[in-house]
Amino acid sequence: MEARASALVVDDDPINRMLLSKSLEQQGHRVMMAENGLEALAALQAQPFDVVLLDVLMPEPDGYEVLARLKEDPGLRHVPVIMVSALEDTQCVVRCIEMGAEDYLPKPFDPVLLRARINGCLTRKRLHDLELEYMEQVGHVVHAAAAVEDGAFRPDSLDRVAGRGDALGQLARVFQRMAREVELREQALKRQVQQLRIEIDGARAARQVAAITETDYFQDLQRKVDELRPRSEAD
Amino acid sequence: MAPILSIHSFRGGTGKSNLAANVATLLAAEGRRIGVVDADIQSPGIHVLFGMSQDAMRRSLNDYLWGRCPIGDAAHDVTSSLDEGLAGRVFLVPSSINPSDIARVMQEGYDVSLLNTGVRHLIKELGLDTLIIDTHPGLNEETLLSIAICDALVIVMRPDQQDYEGTSVAVSVARKLRVPRMVLVVNKTPTVFDVAEVKERVERAYGCEVAAVLPHADELMVLSSGGVFVTRYPAHPVTALYKQVASCLTA
Repeated sequence: MEARASALVVDDDPINRMLLSKSLEQQGHRVMMAENGLEALAALQAQPFDVVLLDVLMPEPDGYEVLARLKEDPGLRHVPVIMVSALEDTQCVVRCIEMGAEDYLPKPFDPVLLRARINGCLTRKRLHDLELEYMEQVGHVVHAAAAVEDGAFRPDSLDRVAGRGDALGQLARVFQRMAREVELREQALKRQVQQLRIEIDGARAARQVAAITETDYFQDLQRKVDELRPRSEAD
Repeated sequence: MAPILSIHSFRGGTGKSNLAANVATLLAAEGRRIGVVDADIQSPGIHVLFGMSQDAMRRSLNDYLWGRCPIGDAAHDVTSSLDEGLAGRVFLVPSSINPSDIARVMQEGYDVSLLNTGVRHLIKELGLDTLIIDTHPGLNEETLLSIAICDALVIVMRPDQQDYEGTSVAVSVARKLRVPRMVLVVNKTPTVFDVAEVKERVERAYGCEVAAVLPHADELMVLSSGGVFVTRYPAHPVTALYKQVASCLTA
């Protein structure tokens, strides 16, 4: 049994809209109807759909134009479209497929064929959605690597990817852990360099200097230093 | 008289010998005749960087200090181990790596004033343009003499707590010996440190110019151990830093 999907039925003929809607609802899907191309485009902009059943022959804009606009829109081009029409013209079918339609359903439609095509579309869409999500999350890991280079990495930026149970999730978790360890080490080292001045115990250093410079050997050396370095004057 | 450069550090393991060998090579590459004296008699090591084996060490600084030979006999021309095409020459006076010689130095010491006489003879005899003394770490009689006779002193330090105080003692002592020119080299600096910040903080803390801030990297440790770095990796960024030190000392 396929999971429930949201479908948009677009047809200027109220009988056809109703028949298609009923059949889809009987299959367990949520249905919204549009009676022309403009309504359909507005509905698609307003909410997400898993599949669109689109009549070819409608008043302007017709099914071809709606399909073309949908495929031009980066946010909508991945929504699968099944063209529905009484036309049995092969050229029409070819044109729609070439324009990006997923499938073609002739009128009058056969409910069994409708179910098969809807299910096929939904399966492909879900796989596509998973692939898109995967690629998006790979992108997060790639951006995280760039952020580490720039010193702008935030470990929580990978929380969503790290929650995955697959190899990508494991990669994100290892990356997060290593980045946190490096960050902690860097912070410790930076603290150390910041403490450079205050970590010199001036009094103790002065005592050590005195212990050396108060020796007879040193004082003798200090007296002779100009003789020992004759070139300083000679040059 | 050719200038004497002493390379010193308060603690061991700062990369003093590496710096001495690399600066000597860079100066020789400019056509100078350079002498290098390994005055770290208790723990000699610079000969390794010049590719010198124990068998090749005919005479050493120890032989001169114990009256067995003139210092010139202990000088070895190591130029060919660096680069046959080097415009200048590098002469090394190594310290003995014979354990009994090291033990004798530890037990009996030696007349440190001979070191001063020796380096002057060496400069004249070999016609040196610059003489570099790789000193023993810390502040004992021979290192104090090395500081007292030098025209320029390089104190090598690591940016860690154990070096800060000792370096400040060495800087203060060198000032009392009126060293004409003194610079610090910060070596083995973790790469996460901001180089400009380290330079600025060290210069402010010691009131002394920092000639270079050299990085610490495992890669460098491996590369540095097998010879003189600047001849093997002339295009490496660290070679540019060694050049910075060399030009700072000859400016």
